[in-house]
Amino acid sequence: MAYQVIGRSVATSRPGARVRLDGWGTAVVVALAWLLLVVASALNRSDFISHQTVLAVTFTMSIVGVLAVGQALVGISGGFLDLSQPTSLILTALVAARLLAVDINVAVVVVITVAVGAAWGLLNALIIVYGKLNPVIVTLATNFVGLAALFLLFQIAEAPINSGFRDFGRSSTLGLPNIWWPMVALVLIVGFFLPRTRYGRHAIAVGGSRFAAQARGISLRQTRFAIFTAAGACAGMAGLLFAASSGPFTPSSGTVYLLPVIAATILAGVSLAGGRGNIWLILLSVGFLSTVPTSLVFFGLSSDWQAIFQGFILIVAVAIDGYRERNVAR
Amino acid sequence: MSEIATSRTDLPPALPHRPLRDVMTGPVASIGITLIIVIVAGLTAVGPRFLSASNVTIVGQFVAIPMLVGACAGFALLAGVVDLSIGSMVGVSAAIFGALLLGGWDLAPAAAIALAACLAFGGINAIAIVGFGADPIAATLGMLTGLRGATYVIVEANGQSGSLFAFNDTLFAFTNALVWSLPLIFLLVLVVTAIAAIVVTRTRVGRHLRAVGGDPLAASRAGISVAGMRTAALLISAFGAGLGGILFVGQLGSVSRNMGFGLEFQVYAALMIGGYSILRGGVGNPVGGALGFLVIAGAANILDLRAISPYYVNIIVGLLLLAAVLLDRFRGGDSYE
Repeated sequence: MAYQVIGRSVATSRPGARVRLDGWGTAVVVALAWLLLVVASALNRSDFISHQTVLAVTFTMSIVGVLAVGQALVGISGGFLDLSQPTSLILTALVAARLLAVDINVAVVVVITVAVGAAWGLLNALIIVYGKLNPVIVTLATNFVGLAALFLLFQIAEAPINSGFRDFGRSSTLGLPNIWWPMVALVLIVGFFLPRTRYGRHAIAVGGSRFAAQARGISLRQTRFAIFTAAGACAGMAGLLFAASSGPFTPSSGTVYLLPVIAATILAGVSLAGGRGNIWLILLSVGFLSTVPTSLVFFGLSSDWQAIFQGFILIVAVAIDGYRERNVAR
Repeated sequence: MSEIATSRTDLPPALPHRPLRDVMTGPVASIGITLIIVIVAGLTAVGPRFLSASNVTIVGQFVAIPMLVGACAGFALLAGVVDLSIGSMVGVSAAIFGALLLGGWDLAPAAAIALAACLAFGGINAIAIVGFGADPIAATLGMLTGLRGATYVIVEANGQSGSLFAFNDTLFAFTNALVWSLPLIFLLVLVVTAIAAIVVTRTRVGRHLRAVGGDPLAASRAGISVAGMRTAALLISAFGAGLGGILFVGQLGSVSRNMGFGLEFQVYAALMIGGYSILRGGVGNPVGGALGFLVIAGAANILDLRAISPYYVNIIVGLLLLAAVLLDRFRGGDSYE
């Protein structure tokens, strides 16, 4: 009897030992799908395998990948989604552009921009924690307010054109875009430390079962603050890369990233219910989804088709995931 | 064992049945009060012409179609399966319908095909969510992305420079018709809302729907088909979005690539302000949802008439949204920790 009373909350938590191994099945599936896409495109047009393709794919990967890390942190810790990323991306890109225009040292700009992103995440966390409101609704609301405020603030902006900052965003290192390397570094570092440090494990535990986490003395508030601030800092980093690599941008330029980022996060096996996900898999899922547009062009389809394929991939992925979860639960 | 036995007897007493008091303090009352505040603000800021027939007509035309989409999407929320794909569903329905009109089809068969396509997409949502147990937010987000792509493809293939010109006299006359100097379409949507409210609150089906959304496990043990209810709710949601797309074509006479882009967030913000929850089924009332739309449309209209930047509307929407969910929590709704 006693077990039944607490049984339902226990059933949602996962033993810590499984966290590290979780998701490798997803990795194999996504990697195979990616390989299939590349092979099919190459068989269709042999010139698909080229440096140009690699450049296009890795360039697309960069900003989506950085944002996906933030989204994954929120998801793994049980915060569902951060729908305010379009605002935080453009807000931080605007800060970077404005600061560079007055000739401030680039290192200082980087620090300030990431800090602004973190502050935005902290604002979200303050409302979530003290209002005890669901993050999906809070970030939906702050995105409404934030985008409107950005529209009142500026119409179009751009980082100074002939600055070293923009040159960095346009050029490559070792044959790959400069903005790709920070993304890979972020994914590898966060993916390494999340399941291997105490605070990272706290976040995973809170996502798995907040009751169990609380019973073990983990502070929910601190975890929420830390996670949303970190997610905001990721958006700040994405804003920097965005300002460096894109041309002029408007307040709504960030909206196109929201869905691909969420798709990549879910495809990487991050459970929206929390407690499950491997950050490293973001490299695979983002890489796969970023290859789709280039492949389509080689199949003679316009880039408009990419949304159809990405949506289809996402539905199939979550259907498989739901089916698997249901069978595990039984 | 004994602890559990005592905790079983310590169950809270049954909630007293006070329908009048519930109505006075419930979400519909608070959104009603908000609407009164908006109207008073409008009368003071704009003057009597805020409630003039011509102004009400403008607001009614503007809000009718989103309200219709929202009334139908509310069924999915009640069943506990949020359908984010409605914005793109509006777009793809308009694109299919517009392309068929352009191809020389008659009104009725073109509309039937557009609606059938939307029902099919809703069916795919249902298969993924109900059949496979996919997360509703994630699955319908996939549908949202995919249908946006389909809208792009259809509009590009049939139109020019990102927009498709599809004008139909009959439909234009219908969507712009006035009855008693009010838009016919707005009055019809009010009727639909009233019917939806009666179905949700007064019929067995409505009670089953709310039961499924409130606690699926309890509902299934009470013999209610959770899968059936959720499938039906997703189909109603898709049907409403499809109808909304067709009516938009009638009203505007064209389809742009981005028709319905972001509409899902506007609709769910209005519904949540009106007392629905996108994360918890079983709560909300079509009347409250409709009032939520009117509050936002009224606020937008005031800013419009005072020539204030329309972006302030979104700030108001965001703050109202937070206030509404906070109020819901104080009333005993789910709190998130």
